[in-house]
Amino acid sequence: MLHPFDFPGGIYPPERKDRSTLSPLRRAPLPSQVILPLCQHSGRPATPCVARGDHVRVGSLIAKRDGLISADVHATVSGTVGHVDSDAIHIDSDGQDTRQYLPPLDWRTTDAPTLLMRLDESGVVGLGGAGFPTHIKARVIEWHAIDTLVINAAECEPYITADDLTLRNYPNDVLEGAQLIAALCGAQQIIIGIEDNKPEAIAALEHTLPDSQPARVTLAVIPTRYPSGSERQLIKKLLNRTVPSQGLPADVGVLCHNPGTLLAALYAVRDGQPLVERMVTLTGEAITQPGNYWVRLGTSIETLLSHAGLDNARLSRVILGGPMMGTSLETLNTPVKKTTNCLIAATPDELPPAPVESPCIRCGACESVCPAQLLPQQLHWYARAQDDDKLTSHHLFDCIECGACSYVCPSHIPLVDDYRDAKRRLRYQQIEAAKAEHAKHRFEFRQARLAREEAEKQARRQARLAHNKPTDGNASNESTSAPPADLRSLRIAQTAAKAAVRKAEKVLARAAQQEPQQPHEDLETLLATAQENLKAADFQLAQARESAKAPTAEDTP
Amino acid sequence: MSDTFSLWGIVSAIGILTGLGVGFGALLGAVSERFKGDEHPLVDQIDALLPQTQCGQCGYPGCRPYAEAVNEGDALNKCPPGGEATIHALADLLGREPEPLDGEAPSEANVAYIREAECIGCTKCIQACPVDAIIGAAKQMHTVIEDECTGCDLCVDPCPVDCIDMLPRSTPLGQWQPVVLPTGVIASDRTPATRGPDVTPI
Repeated sequence: MLHPFDFPGGIYPPERKDRSTLSPLRRAPLPSQVILPLCQHSGRPATPCVARGDHVRVGSLIAKRDGLISADVHATVSGTVGHVDSDAIHIDSDGQDTRQYLPPLDWRTTDAPTLLMRLDESGVVGLGGAGFPTHIKARVIEWHAIDTLVINAAECEPYITADDLTLRNYPNDVLEGAQLIAALCGAQQIIIGIEDNKPEAIAALEHTLPDSQPARVTLAVIPTRYPSGSERQLIKKLLNRTVPSQGLPADVGVLCHNPGTLLAALYAVRDGQPLVERMVTLTGEAITQPGNYWVRLGTSIETLLSHAGLDNARLSRVILGGPMMGTSLETLNTPVKKTTNCLIAATPDELPPAPVESPCIRCGACESVCPAQLLPQQLHWYARAQDDDKLTSHHLFDCIECGACSYVCPSHIPLVDDYRDAKRRLRYQQIEAAKAEHAKHRFEFRQARLAREEAEKQARRQARLAHNKPTDGNASNESTSAPPADLRSLRIAQTAAKAAVRKAEKVLARAAQQEPQQPHEDLETLLATAQENLKAADFQLAQARESAKAPTAEDTP
Repeated sequence: MSDTFSLWGIVSAIGILTGLGVGFGALLGAVSERFKGDEHPLVDQIDALLPQTQCGQCGYPGCRPYAEAVNEGDALNKCPPGGEATIHALADLLGREPEPLDGEAPSEANVAYIREAECIGCTKCIQACPVDAIIGAAKQMHTVIEDECTGCDLCVDPCPVDCIDMLPRSTPLGQWQPVVLPTGVIASDRTPATRGPDVTPI
């Protein structure tokens, strides 16, 4: 047990985890068809690399990652590729389940670049819910020094037990995976943060803990309280380090991983198995065989739930994720994705519909439970009034959307809905502002290019005239050259243009050094604009010099 | 006692302070002359509030020239793509009265789309595009880069075969987030309430 530091706030919702932990881990039947969305992770959607009619096997690459923050998608059944569109790839299973895995690697003897490449080409993403590509997270060492790897096994949301069952069944493999990631990111210690409501998992870990090598592993059992499974709150609790606002755990030297992710990372390296299946908790009063299942990605939720004995008569709604942060599904005809950790088929009595909202009575209950130390009530007013400046100054983007404020609200105000809506609006505004800025730069570049072309044309015309009529050049120069150019002001303009180019180059170089992974299109456009301006100034100056020189040359003889 | 008010003391104090004043004044003057920027900060601020579609509907060739004109006293209401929001932002910035929009605000964000089968490759639209968002060459098919298009309409009129349409901008899936949350789902411990009218978040 580490020091009992604590985060503020938190609530104690009913856990209701027993329903899915009583039965052992099972394997869902092989689906006859899978639908694999191209965006099962955070970041850009993957690009399909198969076509209709192609034969694929389990683990065949079907969509390649696009850009840095993206992940590969693999076939999860063997069979024929059906419909391929911009959202998803459909595969009809042939029932053979033949495999196409990558060659196994021993992570203790393999070098880091090979391991990173393996994580990249296995499509492993964070299985806790955010779906952040694991190979990027492992590469964080290029930007930050990491000393601690935290295994986030708190699993504080009610109902969900996938991490619990993972640890009960595969404690060795999870620790092995943790050692692999720790070795990749240079962490010297591993801390397992687990809530005290999982005694079986804790016992299994304590049994295997002494054998884990080489990083030191500590088991930290923390009291059950929602939302201790949130990254920031768990790090505060275990290490007393505060992740900065808008920052990442890596800023304080910590990397946080879910046990399922570690397991998937180990399988990708040790067995060469890409991410083709995951553990999903199926629970709720409306199914007869609740429990945890290994499910192939892309399996239809409807098929899965009917396998677990869905009673349509008793079902009121299906929730994807936990009851606090999850979303109600509009339709069951949707596939299991890499980030699907739990499906709750709830009866009306179990999770009744939200009561009618009443006005805020300013009781302040939300403020005392907020784990992020925000002022939910103020945010509520500002979000409804669309007061964007105030929302930003009250740190709306530090809200982790845990739902504790909505849970305690005596007026049943859907506070988190308001915050999500406001966040979405602000993000949209940012995107629009960036777009406008981009258009402005392109417009300026075009103006500069046109000016340069005009100057070039003038220079050519003058040269041609001077060439054709060398005898009466004096008169022609007078008539053709554009408004008599002042040499001094042109020279100043040229110097200013040179300085602008140098400045743009410097800004671009600095940005490229600080964020080598990001594209810097806008800065490149700015640099190109400055260069065009410089060229135009050069031409104008040369032209003015010519016209200034020409008459004097005529006069002297 | 008399030392304190001696003539020398007073004169030297005045001298030192005057010297300091002249010295720092000269320094400040030299620095402001040396690092003088030629751009107008207020024009930049106005320009930042404009939508940068470069459509020219205000009668000026682009957003920057309109920003300069507004700074010199032109009306605030000449920007249809910006709509009421831009007029209010400009009025706030400049301390003027907001005026009703001169023209009709577009109902949604559009982008140009070239029906490629009908394009004759005349390059007239390429020359009209203020942000270089159309690619193509003479007697070759042209097409619009959707991400770069500002929806300014300027390419529609020059087209001799009317093959350019203004279509709604497509939204990438990643930028669309539904607000669906099971509010108060663990409410079984409270008194069950009947479902009232849906309260949509504003």
